[in-house]
Amino acid sequence: MLSRVVEGDHLRLSLPNERAALEPTRLAVADFLAAYAPSEALRYQVELVIEEMLMNVVWHAFDDAAPHRIALALRVEPAQVVLDFEDDGVAFDPLQAPLPEPPVSIEAAVPGGLGLLLVRRMARAMTYERRDGRNRLTVTLAREPSGRVDGP
Amino acid sequence: MDIEVSEIDGKLTCIRLAGRLDSPGVDRIETRFTAAVVSQQRHAVVDLSGVSFLASMGIRMLISSGRALDLKGSKMALYGATDLVKTVLDHVALDQIIPVAAT
Repeated sequence: MLSRVVEGDHLRLSLPNERAALEPTRLAVADFLAAYAPSEALRYQVELVIEEMLMNVVWHAFDDAAPHRIALALRVEPAQVVLDFEDDGVAFDPLQAPLPEPPVSIEAAVPGGLGLLLVRRMARAMTYERRDGRNRLTVTLAREPSGRVDGP
Repeated sequence: MDIEVSEIDGKLTCIRLAGRLDSPGVDRIETRFTAAVVSQQRHAVVDLSGVSFLASMGIRMLISSGRALDLKGSKMALYGATDLVKTVLDHVALDQIIPVAAT
């Protein structure tokens, strides 16, 4: 169900829009990334971005019951790691989505939108494009995260 | 993902979590975690020292159980988060609504 192609410093995965595909995807990425001896912080950030963005697509991108594929490409560059997500779901620009307000009390806390908030905090850069009926999101992470990278 | 529940003097529920609090991890323990936190009418402390990864699904689980416990008049607190997990907690300002202690 998960297809994987490695070309040099590129990893390309294609996965079904199912929650069950997340774990094999994470393991395939961890396996690929291990060759670059990533820091704990980088490995954490890559896994977090993948978890949050794929969960978002699996949950919200499709309004039919038909099977869809999600494409994930990961590229390791000297100073950064670039993740490309592509799907044919409903148009959604995560850069325009309102971020949740900081919670003021446990009663008022809204536990939604936190995944996107985390990704935006950790990313060095994010770009979104809607092209040919497809969402294409690129998330760039610093290869040596400071741990407290301020997002866009 | 593992969960271990104990109590201190019948007054405090201690819950030790170990493993990955991502979506598969939350799927595995959420029912047991919620039951352990909410079924008893006493304060709960959650030991995160064994948690190697925390994503938004895990944060949602902590918030919803913390809120359910709050409605019963008891409180939940977290402690022992590793540096990377603490960074995630800080990014969402979780300590504004659930006390987070270092150790």
